Amino acid sequence: MTADSRTRTAKAARTVTQAGGRRSSAARQRRELLLVAAVFLAPALLALFITRLLPAGVSLVESFMRSTILNPTPRFVGLQNYAELFADPAFHSSLLVTLVFTVILNPLQVGLAFLLAVLYSRSGRTTRFFRALVIVPVVVPPAISAIFWGIVYRPDGLANALLRSLGLPEQPFLTSPDQALGSIMLLVGWVGLGYWMLFLIAGINDIPEELYEAASIDGAGSWRKHLSVTLPLVRRPMLFVLVAATAIHFITFAPVQILTRGGPNGSTNLIMYDVYKRAYDLRDVSMAQAEVVILVLLALSIVAIQFRMMRGSDR
Amino acid sequence: MSTTKIVTVPPEYRRRRPRGTRSPITTILQVVVGIIMIIPVWWGAVTSLRPSSEAFRFLDPLQLQTFFPLRASFDNYFALVESDLGRATLNSIIVSGTTVIIGVVTCAMAAYALSAIEFPGRNAVFVVVLISFLIPFDAIAMPLADVVRDWGLVNTYVGLILPGIGNGMAILLIRTFFLAIPHELVEAARLDGLGWFAIFWRIYVPLAVPSLIGAGLTLFLFQWQAYLWPLLVGTDKEHMLAPIALANFMTQTSIDYGVLFAGSICLTVIPLIILFSLQRYFIQSTVSSGIK
Repeated sequence: MTADSRTRTAKAARTVTQAGGRRSSAARQRRELLLVAAVFLAPALLALFITRLLPAGVSLVESFMRSTILNPTPRFVGLQNYAELFADPAFHSSLLVTLVFTVILNPLQVGLAFLLAVLYSRSGRTTRFFRALVIVPVVVPPAISAIFWGIVYRPDGLANALLRSLGLPEQPFLTSPDQALGSIMLLVGWVGLGYWMLFLIAGINDIPEELYEAASIDGAGSWRKHLSVTLPLVRRPMLFVLVAATAIHFITFAPVQILTRGGPNGSTNLIMYDVYKRAYDLRDVSMAQAEVVILVLLALSIVAIQFRMMRGSDR
Repeated sequence: MSTTKIVTVPPEYRRRRPRGTRSPITTILQVVVGIIMIIPVWWGAVTSLRPSSEAFRFLDPLQLQTFFPLRASFDNYFALVESDLGRATLNSIIVSGTTVIIGVVTCAMAAYALSAIEFPGRNAVFVVVLISFLIPFDAIAMPLADVVRDWGLVNTYVGLILPGIGNGMAILLIRTFFLAIPHELVEAARLDGLGWFAIFWRIYVPLAVPSLIGAGLTLFLFQWQAYLWPLLVGTDKEHMLAPIALANFMTQTSIDYGVLFAGSICLTVIPLIILFSLQRYFIQSTVSSGIK
C-alpha cells in the first residue's frame, strides 16, 4: 500500500464517520465556516464600517440634532435643520449652480466623447498614440488639473495668449461671474473626456461587423454609417456613461476650492463646496450634516439608476 | 473619479478592427484633437524646464518657444526636491504605497470569503459591501474627519491611509475573478487536507493576479488623486500630501511658477508611468482569460 492510497482510505473512513453523525457535524461545519469567513472578512468589514457606514450614520443622527455656543450639548430638533436648509437662499443658489453645471456639462462632454470614440475606435499605431494623449488628463490628480488650468486662465496666461493670436478680445475667465462656471466646466470636461471615450470605444467594438457591411452595400458613406449604425447601437453605453458622469460631477470639489472658492458672487458654489463652507467656514455643523445627508441621498439615487441600467444592458 | 478607471481599459484592445476606410481627414483630426488635449500638460512640462522668471515670457505673441524650450534646465526639479514639496511628494508615495499593500490584502481576503466560503449570511454581508461601495467617499469625508479628529488621528499616516483600505470597488473586482475559479477546486483541496488560508494563498491568489493588479491600481489612484480627505486630516508639514502642498503653493503671494510646474508634472508623470507599464501586463492577462 502506498502512502497516497493510505491517506485516501483514511479520508474515506472519515467521510463515513461524518455521514454517521451528520447533524452534529453539519452544525459544527457551519460554525467552522462562519468562523473562517469572519477571520477573512474582519479587516475589510471593519475598514468599510469605520470609513463609510459610520460617518454616514453620524451625519444622519446629527442632522436631527442642534448644538449652540450657549448650549453645547446637542439636543434633538427633528427636521428643523432640514427646514432651515431648504429655506436658505444660499442653499437654493448652490443647488441651482450644481444643476446648471450638470445639465450643460454632461450632455456636451458625453456627446464629444462619442465623437472622439468614433474618431479613435479604429486600429493602427497613429490612432493608438494620439488616443493615449486624449487619455492622459484622466490620470492627472484633480488638484493638479485645477492648477494647470488656473494658470492657463490667468490674465497673462495661455488662454488669453491663444485668443490674442486669433485676433479675439481677452477674457476674464475665472474672475467673471458670467464665465467662471463655464471655465470650470471646460476644465472638468477636459479631465473626463478620455475616460468616457474608453467606455464608448468598447461599446463601438461590440457592434457586429456585418451591420457596417450591410450599410456599405446600401451605399452609406463613412459618417452616414456612424449616424445610422453606431449611434443607435451605443445608446446603452452612452446612457450609462451619462449617469456615471452625473454621479462624479455631482461631487466636484477640488477646482472650486482651489480656483474660485465658490465665487465670484456664488456663481461656482457647487453643492460639495457649499457643504465644506458651511462646516468649516461658517462652523454650522448641524446644517452641514443635513446637507451631507441630502448629498448622499441624491448620489445614491443617481447610482441606483445606473445599476438599473447596467442590469438592463446585460439583457 | 478614479475608481473604475483601470478596469475598463481592456475591452477596446481585445478586438481591433478597422472601421470603414482610413481617410487622411480622419488622421489629421486624430492628430489635432490629441494635440489639443495634451496642450495644458505639455505647456506645463515645457514651463517646468525654464526659470520661473520666464514662465510667462513667451506668450505674447505665441511663438515656437511657447511650446518648445530652446534651453532646457532641470533646476526647478532640483529646487523641488529641496523644498517642502519634495517632502509632500514623498508623503504621497508613502501613503499611496502603504494603502496598496494593506488594501490589496484586505480586499482580497474579503473577496475570498465572499466567493469561496459558503458561510451562512454571505448574501447579507455582500449587501453591506455593496452599500458602502455606493456611498461616494467625498460626500461623507467631512463627518468622517470629525470622527478621526476625536480619535486623535489627525496629522498621522494612519488617518491618511485609513479610508483607502476598505474599497468596495476593489473587493467586487477581485471577487469577480475569484468566482470564475471552479468550486470543485476548493472541495478537492479541502479533501486533501488543505486549510482555508492555504487554499486562499496557494490557489486563489496565484490564479487572480491580474485582478489584484487592477485592484491595486484602483487603490493607488484613489489615494494619489485624493484632495478633500488629505485637506481635512493632513495639514501639518510632516504629513501634508503633494496635491495639498501644491494647491497651497498656488495661493501664496509670490509664486515660484517653475517649482509649481515641476511638482505638478511629477504628480502627473508618476501615475502615468505606473499605468502604462502595468496596463500592458494587465491587458495581456485579461486577453488570455478572455480567450479561455
